[in-house]
Amino acid sequence: MHQKDLAIEINDVPGSNGALIINFRGELSSLCISRISGTFDTIDYSTIKFVIADMSNVTLVSSAALGEFMGGRKRLVESGGDLVFASLQIDLRSKLNMMGANKIFRFYNDTRSAVNAFRWEYEKHHEHLHLSFPPFLKLVPPIRSLVSRVAKQKGYSNRDSFRIETIIDEVCNNAIEHGLEGANKSIDLKMTINPAQVEFTVTSVSDPEKMQALKAMIKSDEHDLSKLRSDEKRGRGLALIKMLSNELTVDCNESGTSVHVKKLREE
Amino acid sequence: MNIEFPYKIALSFPGDLEYIPSIRKFISEVLQVSNFSTKFAYRSEIIVDEISNNAVNYGCRDENASVNLECLIYEDHIEFDIRDQGGSKEHIDRLHSAIKAEPEDTISNKGLGIEIVRMLSESMDINIDDQNLTSVHIIRKREES
Amino acid sequence: MESQIELLYEDIPGRSNARLIRFVGDLDATNVQSVLEKLNSLFSEGFTRLVADFRKLRYVNSAGLGILLYFTKTVREKGGSFKIANVCENVYEIIEIIGATSLLEIYDELNEAIAELN
Repeated sequence: MHQKDLAIEINDVPGSNGALIINFRGELSSLCISRISGTFDTIDYSTIKFVIADMSNVTLVSSAALGEFMGGRKRLVESGGDLVFASLQIDLRSKLNMMGANKIFRFYNDTRSAVNAFRWEYEKHHEHLHLSFPPFLKLVPPIRSLVSRVAKQKGYSNRDSFRIETIIDEVCNNAIEHGLEGANKSIDLKMTINPAQVEFTVTSVSDPEKMQALKAMIKSDEHDLSKLRSDEKRGRGLALIKMLSNELTVDCNESGTSVHVKKLREE
Repeated sequence: MNIEFPYKIALSFPGDLEYIPSIRKFISEVLQVSNFSTKFAYRSEIIVDEISNNAVNYGCRDENASVNLECLIYEDHIEFDIRDQGGSKEHIDRLHSAIKAEPEDTISNKGLGIEIVRMLSESMDINIDDQNLTSVHIIRKREES
Repeated sequence: MESQIELLYEDIPGRSNARLIRFVGDLDATNVQSVLEKLNSLFSEGFTRLVADFRKLRYVNSAGLGILLYFTKTVREKGGSFKIANVCENVYEIIEIIGATSLLEIYDELNEAIAELN
């Protein structure tokens, strides 16, 4: 009996500290236990928090080998980290599930998804979405749904996602309704999201007078919607944004007016 | 302001599959508010899904890579233009293989997405340059109601 | 995070080795793996005759079709069956486009698919 050409290669995650990708190639049979445990022994658990086991070229995982992975994971979890599997072939994934591995390990379709998960959870990585659209009010509902779905997909609660949706609705409506007549330029929405907060910058070409009025409204301390006059629709929208967000600023320059909103994750 | 044709929507999103459901639903909803039928919007959603999946799977070599999608919406047709930020040689070879795959090769799933897009579009042009940057341009005409 | 899909299971009266699976939501690249795992689990538990109700399956892409084809082929090779019923027009069209209507066992109505289990 002999080991079937098991190859193990350890690589850093480009651009990140604290994570490794371990590429396994061949069969992880019970004959390879010492090599697998030896690999986990080489990891500096004081600096490495996250290990991605790239299984794209693995054809067999014995229960003994799985046990070694569990041991490796346990050491990482003790310091707040994790070990995950990536790129498992379909048959192998099914077999690991039958062994109960899916109750312990996270599975990712590829190493990129696993790296993204690490960067999101451990490095609080920012992700960016950029949208440019014409000033048509009918486009606002799809835009706010997009933003809300993205927030939910990144793990924000329904409540937080709804608040984010309301904020973006009001900001976009303002940008369209108070845009400069005849300018017909696109509106720019930049969304930056990380596990702790979401930020939006909406830039449009606006009527300068209306923008000064907007800035004044933002500076005012009036938060009580009931005190606004019935025709102060814009005031209501702004008051709503102020109440739902943690930061709201307006910047006017040659390229247009940028409304910047920051909302911290609450749940 | 009411919708005036043609107009353009441009999106840039991270090269991660998890964004794609939100993106495709967004495009579908945009088309529906632009008075395209729900059937047209659904088929366009499929197109956006497939080309975005390919862009992420084959064209995002770096972890920071993003995908750029432009939609030009005319009264009688729409155009999609999607660009990635470069795939590895291995991925580009796989993409070439998928483009050349025969329609019958469904069991192995090679080229299934591209074949679906081809069938749903009036035209599809795929360009892979010497930097391994891929762009796909698709035209889809409004169907008779 | 995955696109929303739910699989709801029901017994099929008189057939201890059969299971009805109602698909609810969208089947796409973000959730195909977990769906395939669930289908494989059912089969391994001894439910070798599976019937899928697609009435509430709104959307399927090439990745989704890929696993449906793969699973159909796999269960057949193992002596089982995977039947699909109530496919909505949009989803059926995509199946038709790739020429998979003859590769999947598709029935108009759920009771037809269940009747064919015999």
